[in-house]
Amino acid sequence: MDAIYGLMHGFGVALMPANLMWCFVGCFLGTIIGIIPGLGPSATIAILLPMTFNMDPTGGIIMLAGIYYGAKYGGSTTSILLKMPGEASSVISCLDGYEMARKGRPGPALGIAAISSFIAGTVGVVLLSFLAPPIAAFALSFSSPEYFALMVMGLSLVVLLAGDDVLKTLLALLVGLWLASIGTDLFTAQARFTFGQSALLGGIEFMSLAIGVFAIAEILLSVEAREKVEMLKIPKGLRNLLPSREELKACRFAFFNGSVTGFIIGVLPGAGSTIASFVSYGIEKAVSRHPERFGTGVPEGLAAPEGANNADTGGALLPLLTLGIPGGSSTAILMSALILWGVKPGPLLMTQQPDIFWGLVASMYVGNIALLIMNLPLIGVFTHILRIPLYVLYPIILGVAIVGAYSVSGNMVDVGILVGFGLMGYGMQKLGFPTSPLILGFVLGDAMERALRQSLSMSNGDPTILVARPISAVLFVMAAVILLSPLLRRAFAKRNLAAASAPHS
Amino acid sequence: MNIVTRLAAAAAVAIGIAAPAAAQDWVPRKPVSVVVHTGPGAGSDVFARAVINIIDKEKLAPVRFVVVNKTGGGSTNAINFTTSKDGDDYTLAVYASNWTTDYLVQKDATNSLQGLTPIANLIFEPALIMVRADSPFKSLKDFIDSAKAAPNMRKQAGGTPLGRDAMLRHVLVANTGAQWPLISFPGGGERISALLGGHVDTLVLDGSEIGDFIESGKLRALAQVADKRVESFPADVPTIRESGYDIPIPLQPRGVMGPPNMSKPAAEYYRNLLARLVETPSWKQYVREARLESSFIAAGDLAAFLEKFGDSTKSALKSANIEVVR
Repeated sequence: MDAIYGLMHGFGVALMPANLMWCFVGCFLGTIIGIIPGLGPSATIAILLPMTFNMDPTGGIIMLAGIYYGAKYGGSTTSILLKMPGEASSVISCLDGYEMARKGRPGPALGIAAISSFIAGTVGVVLLSFLAPPIAAFALSFSSPEYFALMVMGLSLVVLLAGDDVLKTLLALLVGLWLASIGTDLFTAQARFTFGQSALLGGIEFMSLAIGVFAIAEILLSVEAREKVEMLKIPKGLRNLLPSREELKACRFAFFNGSVTGFIIGVLPGAGSTIASFVSYGIEKAVSRHPERFGTGVPEGLAAPEGANNADTGGALLPLLTLGIPGGSSTAILMSALILWGVKPGPLLMTQQPDIFWGLVASMYVGNIALLIMNLPLIGVFTHILRIPLYVLYPIILGVAIVGAYSVSGNMVDVGILVGFGLMGYGMQKLGFPTSPLILGFVLGDAMERALRQSLSMSNGDPTILVARPISAVLFVMAAVILLSPLLRRAFAKRNLAAASAPHS
Repeated sequence: MNIVTRLAAAAAVAIGIAAPAAAQDWVPRKPVSVVVHTGPGAGSDVFARAVINIIDKEKLAPVRFVVVNKTGGGSTNAINFTTSKDGDDYTLAVYASNWTTDYLVQKDATNSLQGLTPIANLIFEPALIMVRADSPFKSLKDFIDSAKAAPNMRKQAGGTPLGRDAMLRHVLVANTGAQWPLISFPGGGERISALLGGHVDTLVLDGSEIGDFIESGKLRALAQVADKRVESFPADVPTIRESGYDIPIPLQPRGVMGPPNMSKPAAEYYRNLLARLVETPSWKQYVREARLESSFIAAGDLAAFLEKFGDSTKSALKSANIEVVR
């Protein structure tokens, strides 16, 4: 098998001392910037790019890729401990991750995030190693109607994210969809809902929205309830730092779900790890035996999205390395790095420059192990953050959030937007509106609108294009099943109840 | 005493000589910001980083140049930001064709490229009209005839309706009577996937985006989007004009502007820097590898060029029935 020879050659390259060192450097830097909100992998790679020009391209790409996937390990840390996502792909991890920490299990939560990241990250690389050509072909068969169906399926997951009040859920969702439409419209190049504010022309920064609605609102709520807030008790001992056997057992399906969902969505150009994390969370909840407990700190609700955003890395690198197609901003900057070194990423890379292709792929196996080893001991350190008194911790969180919001665009308006969303999140919580449908609507809205308009201009306005294609039809059916799943569940429950009570009557 | 006077005299002489020299030879003393309108990894960002890389490698400047990504509204936020740096000698901006187009079309865009201090144009980016390798279209004429026979059935992938690739479509549609829609995708990767997957029929790829798609037999070029054949393009591919369509070729210029009222010595310094840049072997190698065309136009000539470029863009937009607000 070519892949096995290639991989063996790749390990020969990746395990050379210099490349091994670059792999560790990249993974370490990635973990750090993953933890810092506002500083994402694409910006970091761009900043470090000039330093790599004199490096050997193989070592350079190994390090830059390490930053890319390392950031996804680090991104969940602050989501879990502070409800402040470090990266967009870790936003959904706030839901169950933070609740686990509040229940006194911050260590196991961090452990589950690291273990799930490791498993799914490795599965992603295995799939990249052995199935690259057929999966690349599958990704190309995805066109706008399929993307639209995928987004509809994602949106139908809102039913599962719903609180008790369907009306409030739908309202929150609609506001999220509307927020996503702010900015310059791609199709007409005209501004929408910017109210003459040129800072809004680029649209609303997702991290400002997520940090505002989650972290800032959480602080406001805690401050208001200060008499009730107690210091989190962190149980001591190794047993309470690492996930228990029961917790890992609960995550069995989540590891699989995160790996597969993350990889498939990662392969599709333009979908991205944030959407992958949301979809895998929704799937996890849809198949769960106790969906009502999601959002209260169930380990599988953390394991699925954290796995998905790591499996996404292997997926996203696939079109880049096999076709020369970057699917998102991080892979685009990796591609420009390769070009600046004089390496052409494309269909010929695998055969003409096996050192780079297989060296990088093999280094990701090494990197994922390094990240797991790096992250597990850090759990003990990070959980100490929660021992900081709240009157010290909250100003620090606010400061980091504001600096993060500012640093994305270098614009004070974004800080104002962050504060505005903080107040909105606080108001929503007070009035009993769920916030996750808002975030979901925002994440999917833009891609969904675009896919719909692309589809309709492809078919000259004929809407049947959306359902006439096999993949999109299947996705629509899945959306319908998801939408009806609460009803089906209730019907089953009733029948079971009836069956159980039948003999007595 | 004697020594002191001599030192003083020497110092006076030194200052006397140095003072006029300093007025002429302005030299930057702190890092220079380079504003681009795209995020990391996209066209202008990659170009700016390549230029900075060559400046560093050839040791042409004593300070560092730092890319500042001002995205939003196409080029509008980047122009607004550069304009707000009025009189600053430490900010530069890298423009592309949309820095002219956005101002003509967006009602919210209030600052024009012409309001900035012209430094120098560096390149024109040529492009290729591409189809899938197994496409039935063997020439540009095949495609246009087909789009004429079956209006709106052929599709072109692109970005905004104001990009250079879209402008080429507008001009071709207006001049040939053929009709086909432009399907907008936000990223280059998505456009190429749509073509490779057979979901659209054609797209226009800038020189730097072509990679090894032709060598690997995935894509085929129908025509060169350039006035005359480009050396780094496949030699057997004709230009649009050679294909029988005598239309004005929409340009993709890239170059450098300063904020309004940048001091004359500073502007002159940057012009000299870029004039030296385009003579270096590293630049020539970059231009060849990225399939660009070096075209150095400085100062007054650049202002005149941008004026002309604005007019031709305006008429292309009008021919496409896109509302021009200025």
